[in-house]
Amino acid sequence: MSQPTADKANRVLLRLQNVGKTFQMGEVAVEALSDVSLDVYAGEFLVMVGPSGSGKTTILNLVGGLDSVTAGRVWFEDREITAFTPAELTRYRRETVGFIFQFYNLVPNLTACENVMVSTELSRDPMDVVEALRLVDMEDRMDHFPSQLSGGEQQRVAIARALAKKPTLLLCDEPTGSLDFATGKRVLRTLLDLKQQLGKTVVLITHNSAIAQMADRVVRLRSGQVVELHDNPQPLPPEEVVW
Amino acid sequence: MKTLDRKLLREVRGHLGMLLAVTSIIAVGVTCLVTMVSAYMNLAEAKQLYYAQCRMADFSIELKKVPLAELAPLAAMPEVAELRSRIQHSVTVDLPGVIEPISGQIYSLPDQRRPVIDDIVIRQGSYFTDRRDNEVIVNEKFAKAHRLRPGLWIRMLLNNRQQELFIVGTAISSEFVYLIGPGAIVPDDKRFGVFYMKRTYAEETFDFEGSANQVLGRLSAAAGGDSREVLRRAEDMLSSYGVFTTTPLEDQPSNKFLTQEIQGLKSFAVIIPCMFLAVAALVMNVLLGRLAQQQRIVVGTLKALGYSDLQIFRHFLKFGLIVGIAGGLIGCGLGWWLAKLLTALYGIFYQFPELHNRLHWSVLAVGMLVSAGCAALGSLRGSRAVLRLHPAEAMRPSPPRRGGAILIERIGWLWRSLGSGWRMVLRNVSRSRMRTAACIFAAAMGACVLVNGFMMQLSLGFLIDFQFQRIMRSDIDLTFNDERGRDALAEAARLPGVNRAEPTLNVACTFINGWRRKKGSITGLLSDATMTIPRDIEGRRLRIPAHGIMMSRQLAKSLGIERGDLVGVEPIKGQRRLCSVPVVEISDSYLGTAVYADIQYLSRLVDEEFAISGVQLAVDRNPVHRAALYRELKRLPAVQAVSSRADMIRNLEDILKTQSIFIAMLVLFAGIVFFGSILNASLVSLAERQREVATLRVLGYGPWQIGSLLFRESMITTILGTLLGMPLGYLMTLAIAAEYASDLFRLPVVTSPGLWILTMVLAIVFGLITHLFVQRTINKMDWLDALKMQE
Ligand SMILES: Nc1ncnc2c1ncn2[C@@H]1O[C@H](COP(=O)(O)OP(=O)(O)O)[C@@H](O)[C@H]1O
Ligand SMILES: [Mg+2]
Repeated sequence: MSQPTADKANRVLLRLQNVGKTFQMGEVAVEALSDVSLDVYAGEFLVMVGPSGSGKTTILNLVGGLDSVTAGRVWFEDREITAFTPAELTRYRRETVGFIFQFYNLVPNLTACENVMVSTELSRDPMDVVEALRLVDMEDRMDHFPSQLSGGEQQRVAIARALAKKPTLLLCDEPTGSLDFATGKRVLRTLLDLKQQLGKTVVLITHNSAIAQMADRVVRLRSGQVVELHDNPQPLPPEEVVW
Repeated sequence: MKTLDRKLLREVRGHLGMLLAVTSIIAVGVTCLVTMVSAYMNLAEAKQLYYAQCRMADFSIELKKVPLAELAPLAAMPEVAELRSRIQHSVTVDLPGVIEPISGQIYSLPDQRRPVIDDIVIRQGSYFTDRRDNEVIVNEKFAKAHRLRPGLWIRMLLNNRQQELFIVGTAISSEFVYLIGPGAIVPDDKRFGVFYMKRTYAEETFDFEGSANQVLGRLSAAAGGDSREVLRRAEDMLSSYGVFTTTPLEDQPSNKFLTQEIQGLKSFAVIIPCMFLAVAALVMNVLLGRLAQQQRIVVGTLKALGYSDLQIFRHFLKFGLIVGIAGGLIGCGLGWWLAKLLTALYGIFYQFPELHNRLHWSVLAVGMLVSAGCAALGSLRGSRAVLRLHPAEAMRPSPPRRGGAILIERIGWLWRSLGSGWRMVLRNVSRSRMRTAACIFAAAMGACVLVNGFMMQLSLGFLIDFQFQRIMRSDIDLTFNDERGRDALAEAARLPGVNRAEPTLNVACTFINGWRRKKGSITGLLSDATMTIPRDIEGRRLRIPAHGIMMSRQLAKSLGIERGDLVGVEPIKGQRRLCSVPVVEISDSYLGTAVYADIQYLSRLVDEEFAISGVQLAVDRNPVHRAALYRELKRLPAVQAVSSRADMIRNLEDILKTQSIFIAMLVLFAGIVFFGSILNASLVSLAERQREVATLRVLGYGPWQIGSLLFRESMITTILGTLLGMPLGYLMTLAIAAEYASDLFRLPVVTSPGLWILTMVLAIVFGLITHLFVQRTINKMDWLDALKMQE
């Protein structure tokens, strides 16, 4: 286990403490995470890298309240997520977390605008839908259905959807994973802008180490364990990242 | 409108076929429910109102003759609230232009109108007036059948004298909601009438001054609704006046038929809709299960966005509710309309002053509730599996379906002999358990209803044949108003057109076995009688014993008697000498509770040498001879009733025709259930395997080959379900027959190979028709799109 080394003045937003996750698949147990401890600071851009199957998605799901741990605890600020009731978990997801998925997961028979509305209708103080779409530069495509949009455009709609309910924490699961180089960069730029302009905390996972260059901090995972954790004093803007 | 609702509407548009399938099944269930419950309520309410309006008697006592003064102790009983005496008499009516003699029953009513027990409701004309003594009120259906109306005269043979009576009105009474002549089970408006005349005139005509031969009564609260004790005591009190029968309301023929019908309707109103609605819920479950599976990722994403399980369930629930409400509305509308039809149909056989199809809001509300509830249940069960998943889990592609060998694969030689098509089909059928189960269940319910409908039809046909071709073989039965001797038989044999005449002797009596008593009668027949042939359940002819009696199974059962036992017989007429008689044989029949004996043996039992009370005739088919015979019969004062077998058969066959309307309706409903469930299963199967289908198309399969795969799947479940449903239908018919069984009639449970074949053929035809729809979908399917789609 490696200790967090960052500046102690930073406020801890998320804390994972000896988290383990084992999937039971019939007879066999798959240990996706074992004994992971990690702090995420408010307002940082944290990138987790690791090969496919190393447990990145699992961590993100646990942190976002989509799945339950089999060992250890997770805190968000001073509240223990792992002790939440289902109703509290739902509220947590609704009010605190914004998710961005590798395959965008837009609702196929809703337009871009409606996909964002699905999220804003849940929120007490949401962003304006058009405003959210403008942030990702998609306001002129808002009446298109997902099938009429390219992958990058769909992903930007998905980002708008995550943003629109003004979450504190953005969790991005390989947001560029199914995008081409140039489109991927645009999406990354959007995410970085959000962090810088709106002060969001962004946790982004990727199997692409190059992307780590734009992070404030990098966590490296292998076989369900944190193998490396380091600060990146000079993050590169996405435009300069190459892969 | 919420965005999710928009999604919902678009999905509804995208799944119209499947929704139609489920909606139609729900609609059928609700239609049945609303139809039957409405008809039930219409009848039950009409009955209650009518009985109150006419002040229906709680019991009646039929006796030879009782002076009115002797009724005082009975009237004084605290259990008796009110008593009325009247005179009743059978009558033969001669109408101009009607060749056959018509029988009827006369009842007396007060000369001046006042409310009485078993009152009448005037339909046309008026009550008696002061202008004449010989006024008559005719029952409405008889009047209509013969175009009789107030102001006309009618000629009757009253107490051996031809009399002209003036019709003042037509009427109906709650006593005769279901009006049948003696021995009949079906109303015959034309050949049996009820005639009301003034009490004083009746007393005069039948020599009943100051006396009566029937007592009607209503119970007071003290009786606690049970008239048996009152009747038992009344019988003792009046024993010296020759009590023939005591009839509590529940045994009153019209009431018995009506009550039985209402009861039957009530059980049907529960069973059949339940069957259809259960199918609907299952099919809904399959559809929603598919929808939810298909939307796993959407569900996971919505959860990740912060939607609660409840919110997402509500979303799926709305989908179900749309179907439930649509089905409910269609069912309520259709049900209301059919209830109207059914109620009108009942109106043909059961006569009420008012029998309308009321709009029963409560029934409609229940219909809506039940359909919504069943749709909700189906949605809940269908979407539960996906809703229960952790969002993270939901977003992963669904685990591969159960693999492994299916049962048939273990039978190696069989499996190896199957082509890849059959293998795919069999794997699919055995792996999508829920869908297969739903389909089999639906087919089973459909087949059950079909078998039941066909069996009911067969049953009535069989009953007619058994009773009126095999047991009863005479063309015309005459009943005398008194017992006669041998000469009456000879006289009957000489009537024109008569080929053969056989005597009968009917002795009303009480059968006694220990504490069990039953009123009934014994029919004496010649030992070699050819016109009444008692039979056993197999239809084999039974010989009439020279000594002892032959009892019908129904009566033997209710008396707890078996073949060889002794039974106490107390004749109601004559010396009333109780004697012990051996039950030598048990006979079977579906109507009444006949008891047969040798006519000479029976005559001796009532201390006569040779008595006859009726004659059975075999007559010439020649209409000229028949007309001559009828002319003669009308002139014979001693003949009380004439019944012709041909007429009874015709009446029963009319019922068969009416019944066919129901059968047709049931076939239609069963068809819809087959259609709905097969369509749903095929479309769901198709949607689930879009990619497989696309791959097959790429490999060069044509749309008809794909269709054949699906057709084989649906045929397997349809045939399996039908095979299961057929015995179920048989059992259901058995249960219904048991429920309806009474002293009046019992439904034979009969089947024929044709019935099973027809059911199977229909099931397959329904499957074929449905497949045409499925095939159309396959032909129109954009399979290239499916190939590109990621699920
Ligand atoms: N629901 C699940 N059931 C079984 N095993 C799972 C499940 N989810 C993830 N795993 C396993 O856990 C490990 C980590 O998975 P994941 O977190 O998705 O990796 P990554 O996102 O880094 O590619 C993998 O071995 C994967 O097969
Ligand atoms: Mg992953």
